[in-house]
Amino acid sequence: MLPEFLSRTAKTKEEALSYITGLEDVKVLAGGTDLIVRMRKGEAYKHLVDVMEVPEMKGISCDEEGFKIGATTTHNRLSNSQFIKMNARSLSLACGLIGSPQIRNMGTIGGNLINASPAADTIPPLLVHDAVLTLESKGGERKEELEDFIIAPYKTSMKSDELLTFIHIKRKRFKDYREGYKRVTKRAALAISRLSVAWAIHEYEGLFHDVRLAIGSCTPMPFRPRIVEEFLKGNKKEEQIIIESVKMILEEIKRITGDRPSFIYKIPVLKDLLENILRG
Amino acid sequence: MVTIDFTLNGKRVTVDVNDNETLLFTLREKLSIKSVKEGCSIGECGTCTVLIDDETHYSCLTLSSKVTGRDVKTVEYLGNIIELHPLQEAFISCGAVQCGYCTPGMLLSAYSLLLKNKDPQDEEIKRAISGNLCRCTGYIQIIEAIRYAAGILKQNC
Repeated sequence: MLPEFLSRTAKTKEEALSYITGLEDVKVLAGGTDLIVRMRKGEAYKHLVDVMEVPEMKGISCDEEGFKIGATTTHNRLSNSQFIKMNARSLSLACGLIGSPQIRNMGTIGGNLINASPAADTIPPLLVHDAVLTLESKGGERKEELEDFIIAPYKTSMKSDELLTFIHIKRKRFKDYREGYKRVTKRAALAISRLSVAWAIHEYEGLFHDVRLAIGSCTPMPFRPRIVEEFLKGNKKEEQIIIESVKMILEEIKRITGDRPSFIYKIPVLKDLLENILRG
Repeated sequence: MVTIDFTLNGKRVTVDVNDNETLLFTLREKLSIKSVKEGCSIGECGTCTVLIDDETHYSCLTLSSKVTGRDVKTVEYLGNIIELHPLQEAFISCGAVQCGYCTPGMLLSAYSLLLKNKDPQDEEIKRAISGNLCRCTGYIQIIEAIRYAAGILKQNC
């Protein structure tokens, strides 16, 4: 049984914001694949506001700068979208690997971000794409980079009166980039990523032109090894450079996280994964 | 308490539900749909699977209020004891049923797949049932049954 609460279903964004501001001890519900599980374990709120019926928070649309994804768009919809396949291949792949068909039909991209798990599958691809979030409240809206939004494992900068409404990707397509997402899990389905890497790499005449990497499940928050990305820029695509740069990434991870028992396994696996990704 | 209205297996139903009530509870305890089972209660085992607008969902994680105005299907929609659905026939003839606890959920995942994909490859079948666990380890027979049913359904249309 779930703890007792009162639930409201918002039909518009304004209605959702009114509930969030007006009600006491309130939590936003989207797909429920994380929240309801936690509530079964005892997490309790006085009120839930279901935002899945808010039409403007669903779907993918183009804008002047690039495109935006409504926060309650499901993983299934994102993984099946031809547009996402074309313009954010790593995100498409990641969404297709989450949980199970049922989880992908229910769970949303916004929920995955707010849950802010170090192993969240949608975060590394969105970091590669420099995603920006829109957070709305009664008082107005603000934009924040995803990289700044997640402040600790399972913790975001979202305030209690705010609603995550959109995820923006500025640049439409990484043209001539090779882009992907790979993860290591204990089994194929219904698994939490033990390691994950999203990448978008542009090479030109044997040189790395732009390398974007995001690594999940290794550090408290998925991260971009910016120093290494910078190091690779304009550098030759040679075995020695690849090995050197991966070594730098692994050292950076150890610096951030400290030594962990799981690293006996994770570090060698990540090393091979990253080297193979850079080799292409 | 709120009154919700939805289509269940092709018929309109109206039922009073508590705010914190799951669809699993409403179906089993208020609408006598006992084919929908409670297993893990955390969205992993799939025995509570239902179709909402023909897509598979875990009813243990779905608040009943979410299905207002929607189309909900359980295995009762597929067939009955007199006239089984070709998928159900195939599950029997291929030996895909052992204890039967996962079967209603498995059938719904298979049915949802065949709605979208008339001729699925084995990998697509495996992916479609990856959210449904069978602890009698009948996966091979289940995959065979779905493949067999797909063939029968294709002949029929």
